[in-house]
Amino acid sequence: MKLAVFVSDYRLTVDTLDRLNPEKLGIILVQNGVYHATTKENGKPSSLLNKSASYYALIDDLETRGLGNADVADNVKVISYSDIVDLIFNEYDKTAWL
Amino acid sequence: MPTTKLGFIVQRAGYKSENPKLALTHAIASQSVEVYLNDGDIVTADIAFIGDGVLNCKKDQKAMDIYKLTSTETHIKMSLLLDLNVMVCKEDLDRFGMTENDIVLDAEEFGAELTVKVVPFAEITKMMEGMNHLLFF
Repeated sequence: MKLAVFVSDYRLTVDTLDRLNPEKLGIILVQNGVYHATTKENGKPSSLLNKSASYYALIDDLETRGLGNADVADNVKVISYSDIVDLIFNEYDKTAWL
Repeated sequence: MPTTKLGFIVQRAGYKSENPKLALTHAIASQSVEVYLNDGDIVTADIAFIGDGVLNCKKDQKAMDIYKLTSTETHIKMSLLLDLNVMVCKEDLDRFGMTENDIVLDAEEFGAELTVKVVPFAEITKMMEGMNHLLFF
């Protein structure tokens, strides 16, 4: 299964993401999820970024929070809403929202 | 002249929910309750950002440009304009690798005289001890 997971919170209270093991995993960081791409607590990037996955962060939600391309970790691609539509239709079979 | 002191503690990051901005809205609104008070009574409001809440203080928020929302940054500036005491926890800023350069510190463009204070958590604790009511958001 090719699965795209939307992460919209910075503090995750569930471990579902750790249990998922699709053949292809995309993690799309939206809303407060974008903090995973930008925030280094005590100098360490978010552990969410350690998975074997493709990472994306929505530019609109970055800029809303005073963040931008320069703040984003190297392994995260900054994308637009239309890019998300393309990902859903062209790259992944299913989507989930955590 | 009784004074009621309110302490608003913001501990969550913004925008995902309205919760942190509501703290500021309530603090601002607390300054317009004269109609309900006896002559000479005063309500003061102090605001402290702690934990993930310090992320609300990031400057250059573009919420109005993108989602047509008043930004939390603007709410902080309005709080300063009303002479509310706004504090940000230094330890939590440090934890996120943020400095005073990353956050909104003043509202000079609106004519506010007060500035945001970056303080150790101990000082925020001291503020909380002096309040009549604490409200956590």
